[in-house]
Amino acid sequence: MVLVEFFGMYRLNYHIKTIELEADSVKDLFQKIHDINPYYSVKELRHSIVIVNDVNINELKRYRTPLKDGDHVLIMSPASGG
Amino acid sequence: MSTSYGAYTGKVLKIDLSSRTVSEYPVNDNDRRLFLGGKILAARILNDFIKGPMDPLGEENVIVVSSCPLNATGCPSSSRFNVSAVSPLTGLLTSSNCGGTFGTALKRAGYDALVITGKSASFVYLDITADGVEFKDAEPLRGMLTSDTQEAIGGKSSKLVIGPAGEHLVRYACAVSDERAAGRGGIGAVMGSKNLKAVAVYGVKAPPVFDKKKLDKVKIKWTKRLKTHPLTGEQLPRLGTAALIASMQQKRLLATKNFNDGRYEKYSSITGEELAERFLIRNKGCVSCPIRCARVVEVDGKIVKGPEVEIMGLMGANILNDDLGKIIRWNYEMDELGLDTISTSGTIAFAMELNEKGLWKSGLEFGKTDNISEILKEISFRSGETGNKLAEGSRKLSEEFGGEDFCIQVKGMELSAYEPRGAVGQGLGYSVANRGGCHLNAGYEVVVEGLGLTINPYTVHGKAEIAVMFQNLMEAVSAGGNCLFTTYAFFPFFLFKRPNSLLSKTVNKLLPYLGGPLHVINKYPHLAHIHLTSMLPHTKALQAATGMKITMGDLMRIGARGFNLERMINSRIGISEKDDKLPKRLTDVEQVPGDPRTKVPQAKLKKLFYFARGWDKDGHVTKKTAKYYSIDDLDDIGARAAADNGGGYR
Repeated sequence: MVLVEFFGMYRLNYHIKTIELEADSVKDLFQKIHDINPYYSVKELRHSIVIVNDVNINELKRYRTPLKDGDHVLIMSPASGG
Repeated sequence: MSTSYGAYTGKVLKIDLSSRTVSEYPVNDNDRRLFLGGKILAARILNDFIKGPMDPLGEENVIVVSSCPLNATGCPSSSRFNVSAVSPLTGLLTSSNCGGTFGTALKRAGYDALVITGKSASFVYLDITADGVEFKDAEPLRGMLTSDTQEAIGGKSSKLVIGPAGEHLVRYACAVSDERAAGRGGIGAVMGSKNLKAVAVYGVKAPPVFDKKKLDKVKIKWTKRLKTHPLTGEQLPRLGTAALIASMQQKRLLATKNFNDGRYEKYSSITGEELAERFLIRNKGCVSCPIRCARVVEVDGKIVKGPEVEIMGLMGANILNDDLGKIIRWNYEMDELGLDTISTSGTIAFAMELNEKGLWKSGLEFGKTDNISEILKEISFRSGETGNKLAEGSRKLSEEFGGEDFCIQVKGMELSAYEPRGAVGQGLGYSVANRGGCHLNAGYEVVVEGLGLTINPYTVHGKAEIAVMFQNLMEAVSAGGNCLFTTYAFFPFFLFKRPNSLLSKTVNKLLPYLGGPLHVINKYPHLAHIHLTSMLPHTKALQAATGMKITMGDLMRIGARGFNLERMINSRIGISEKDDKLPKRLTDVEQVPGDPRTKVPQAKLKKLFYFARGWDKDGHVTKKTAKYYSIDDLDDIGARAAADNGGGYR
């Protein structure tokens, strides 16, 4: 299972903090999140900041980044400053 | 002294507490043109008074409370005013920016600024209206909390008050206005040292602006931009500044256990999301602010202001506390007692590490939270040995007990919650900031090093130039009266709405390598005869409000003038290259063991910064730089021939 944590608008708008599900890539993960909660559109999720095991997917294989059992994924909206 | 510019009252009052006399301080239109208002105009005025080191708690210190040209114009997020003086925490010039209604009220009463000198023989507060200044007995207010003080003064006036911490000269006591604080540098202690409990001001008539029709057009577009930008229109209103905690954790920027680390394993309990879901009643804003970033929460049945990101980090991860409810309570207590939340938290974390290392057994321990509320009271009233020592700040503690290498301060001021080994440009900023370890005066480069944008946080490329540019911009925006959050709308929407797009990735990759072009813009800002109307409407607004011709280049030049002038004043006090330094923990110890990138390459960055600033190798503003910014030969404003109109005030 992959543990997914939501932050920012992705958490506030749809009231989900964490979910656990099976997915073999980030792209697959987005689809499964959408399947569980249709309020999350795949298009919107593609514009989130996605961190897989502490690494931004832009430094990996982006949406084709493979996922495996035990991976930890953060889905965040951009932040600013304080 | 009148003015030909719009949006200014043309009047600066000098209030001498020793003699209880009031006169006009003859600031003229040339000063307004060069120094605009707020902290920069305050630095210009204090340049007349600060001739060298002084006792910040002595009679000779001078407080300048200054409004800004956009206060009371109805421009979005434009209610910020400034309080400056020599800081009892750092011994240097400090400026504290504050929201709320005070700046607007000051302008409406007919004054651009107050220059408060001397020391009152008895405990007083000032009651200021368009008719003049009254010195009122503050003995009944002695010992009162900040909200009680404001309530007790009553009436329709806006107040700037101190709490018990200011009265007891805690070196990092703040001044509070409404629920907002002029937080950093110990302004509250300076007021306390002058026997000044509060300043109340009431006025109804804002000075006319230069071109109302044009200003109204700017306001509409500007407000729309702020309301539709992903950061100022959604993120900040919904989550407040605390939205950053999760990003800080992920980027190793969350100061943990007195800056031993950049990550806290229990961070998820102290995020902005937790605050929004569990505690938030509603959000709130300053006058004319569409962003409304303030959190409203409940403590003991009272509706109060919630915590900002800095206190959530510093009273959370930095002392190993994962109880958000307690952070909310301490934040409220510090506001009421009149303590700067950042310096208080930083000093407590340092004391915890001293305790852990056996250097000072204070009873403060990482993760132990049941004695914090009591400690906050002890600090504020300087009761007991522990409270009295903590009230001196972390630098004084390290002078007595050791631990200099992990005393997380610069020039005596404790750092904010951003761990700079995860963003070396922010580390540079901390080390060279005029008021000490302040994240904002640093240039807040962390916003592009991982929080908003994601440029390489470890490279030195471009960092000095970005720091200079951001410092200049933020100085000028502050001096104009705007909240710094208005500058976030500078970043194009796509960077936040499409962070994974090729364009966003390209911007993040390229930005550090634009040091050369940025250097040219920083060095010759007068060449930038442009307005960035949709992204930074500040220039258009200032132009319409005042009638001054202000392009982006002019705005950057005003900001640079302010930063350099503050540095020149600090040089006079004795600051040089040797003082621009982070504690060794942040420069010599890797945050991630085995990864040499995770420490701040201070010497290299500083050299680049001095070059970018036009300072010499000792960190002094060169004559050439001072001349370029017209600050090489400033006269004494107070010595200018002016009609003695002191009799015109009560």
